[in-house]
Amino acid sequence: MSILASIAPVQERQADSADVADPAVPWITLVWNDPVNLMSYVTYVFQTYFNYPRAKAEKLMMDVHTLGKAVVSHGTREEMERDAMAMQGYGLWATFEKDS
Amino acid sequence: MARAFRRKGELYAARLDPQERAIVVGLLEQTRELLAPEVAATGDAFTDLIASLGPDFGSSSDPDAPAAGSRGPNPRRAEPERDRDPALDRLLPDAHRSDPAIAAEFRRLTEHDLRRRKSDTITAAIDALAVTDGDKVRLTKAQADSLLVALTDTRLLIGERLGLRDESDVESLERRIVANPEHPLAFAAAVYDFLTWLQDSLAGALMGRRLF
Repeated sequence: MSILASIAPVQERQADSADVADPAVPWITLVWNDPVNLMSYVTYVFQTYFNYPRAKAEKLMMDVHTLGKAVVSHGTREEMERDAMAMQGYGLWATFEKDS
Repeated sequence: MARAFRRKGELYAARLDPQERAIVVGLLEQTRELLAPEVAATGDAFTDLIASLGPDFGSSSDPDAPAAGSRGPNPRRAEPERDRDPALDRLLPDAHRSDPAIAAEFRRLTEHDLRRRKSDTITAAIDALAVTDGDKVRLTKAQADSLLVALTDTRLLIGERLGLRDESDVESLERRIVANPEHPLAFAAAVYDFLTWLQDSLAGALMGRRLF
């Protein structure tokens, strides 16, 4: 990714079941680093689609950027297919897999 | 001369002169051409319904698709199809890394829909840029979101053509162009940088970030 997003006010968040991995629903959606997608855009997508607050969206974006990938959601396989499809719709490099 | 996006009340405003606007719209159109589902809507309800079930129900891949890039198979695609533009695999990568069967099933179920969704988004962005008032561009929130996503797919396409697959590719391209401003990729790289700047300013305006 390129170009740092600066810090701005944290938006309101919704209840976030993805904070805690539930062993009953062991699938994850991953977003992988690529050199094209902007840090600001990736943060915006995480906020917009997942309703994550700014701080969490930025943390995930930085994980993608510095670690090469981040787990952006947990859930059933069907839910992760939906999330991966949505992320690909936004042009992010998203995959889903069974959590290990 | 372009001016970055900023929020103005309920709208997102920027300036693009006619040449800049034509470049952006032209690239959006090229991206849409690549992405549009191979079966276009015909207006006939039954035909469109069958088409919407996906490519397995009739269409063949486009034999006139542009030639592949020069860097060989895309690592984002485990088993690339012959005659398929590698940029498509950049825009619609395998969704499962270790199980080709799951990736293929996901692709079968989602690709047609994703391609239609992406091309519809690009159409909305092009329509939004068609409204002119001198150099001024004024977008609603929905139009701004469409342009933001459309610019992503467009930059992914140009990035693939420029061979940008990881961060080191970006640095190496920059080095080559600095060393040789007449480099054949210099113009494409300059356009790519312009779209990057435009998109980042729009993302910033949408997020309420103050610009530099």
